[in-house]
Amino acid sequence: MASIMRPSLLRQTPASTRSLLLRQNVGVSQAVNFHASARKQILPPLPQSIEGTMNDPAPLPKPSPVHGSYHWTFERAVCVGLVPLSIAPFAAGSLNPVMDAVLCSLLVVHSHIGFDASITDYFRPQRVPKTHALLKWLLRGFTLTTAVGLYEFETNDVGITEALRRIWTA
Amino acid sequence: MASLRSTSRLFAASRPLFRPASFARSYATVEGTKNVEPSPSEKPNFKTFKVYRWNPDTPAEKPTMQSYQLDLNKTGPMMLDALIRIKNELDPTLTFRRSCREGICGSCAMNIDGVNTLACLCRIPTDGAKESRIYPLPHTYVVKDLVPDLTLFYKQYKSIKPYLQRDTPTEDGLEFRQSPEDRRKLDGLYECILCACCSTSCPSYWWNSEEYLGPAILLQSYRWLADSRDERTAERKTALDNSMSVYRCHTILNCTRTCPKGLNPGKAIAEIKKMLASN
Repeated sequence: MASIMRPSLLRQTPASTRSLLLRQNVGVSQAVNFHASARKQILPPLPQSIEGTMNDPAPLPKPSPVHGSYHWTFERAVCVGLVPLSIAPFAAGSLNPVMDAVLCSLLVVHSHIGFDASITDYFRPQRVPKTHALLKWLLRGFTLTTAVGLYEFETNDVGITEALRRIWTA
Repeated sequence: MASLRSTSRLFAASRPLFRPASFARSYATVEGTKNVEPSPSEKPNFKTFKVYRWNPDTPAEKPTMQSYQLDLNKTGPMMLDALIRIKNELDPTLTFRRSCREGICGSCAMNIDGVNTLACLCRIPTDGAKESRIYPLPHTYVVKDLVPDLTLFYKQYKSIKPYLQRDTPTEDGLEFRQSPEDRRKLDGLYECILCACCSTSCPSYWWNSEEYLGPAILLQSYRWLADSRDERTAERKTALDNSMSVYRCHTILNCTRTCPKGLNPGKAIAEIKKMLASN
């Protein structure tokens, strides 16, 4: 990700040869650079050393149950709730707009939490702050779009359960 | 030394199982000398060991895999025996940590054939045709060859306060006692030797080792949370209740799979999550 934004491929090439390389044979120079391991790195390199000695305790993040245990419990509840909600309409054979609405909102929340966890795992703000922020906002945008789309689909069209049933029996 | 020991073991194995009764009844103080040289019919079973090498004295040189050939018939059964034999007989510059050679110190943790384990508890696969690959623990800074820098691991261990915290003395002024049931809760936790095999096998720990504590430290955390004598359970729980320390665990369970002591860090983390959820 970051390599797109950083001209890392050309980082260590002297300025005089850079323009020459660019003009002559971009493909070859890029391939050569790629196989030199220092330039193959996608993310900026880690500090390569650990601060302090083993007798200094590592700092623990500030306690915040909203991002910790409450978040986890909420996420599990949504997960568990989704199971009966996705089975019930088909098992009961009846379509209830309220159940549909609950299912849709839980789906949106569930996928938002899931993608958010991926961003937190793989794009850490300490390492790639801009990419992290960009992806966070991108995810918020996608979640909002999905929510609006599902709302439109539920109110102006047949709704998600009925659509699935029709696809299933088509 | 190890090679000498293993060679004598080899001869011991080739000793006849049943001796004539007359020999068995007499005192045998000196071993017969007829077996000192291996019989020429015994074919050497060579195996290639590829070992990760990197020297901090020449930091510009890239890490390489160096091959060593050992006759398995003259080597002890474990990977550590092979490494010690390489160091003794083939290449004294090979560097690795080892101490107890029986799986209780956790020094010789390394990545052998793709699995984090203790070299002293890992048998050499007897298939001589296949080469064995030995790397340092993954996603650690390498000090030299197979020696990883575990400073962060120990720092994190210190951060969870791994000791009994208690203010009230016992009524009789003697030791803090606990019931057999409470003691049993610590089984499967106290055996951890902090070899870092599980933490360095965890993808979540690879990405977020600065903040995520990792399975080994969380197992130790739970060891003190579960201790009936400890009086700071609430504080310990509060300290862990943030988005990074525990909840970067996504139950990948590499930790449980790789643990050379057969413990279950995944279960300990699940117990911590349960404790935090029921706050």
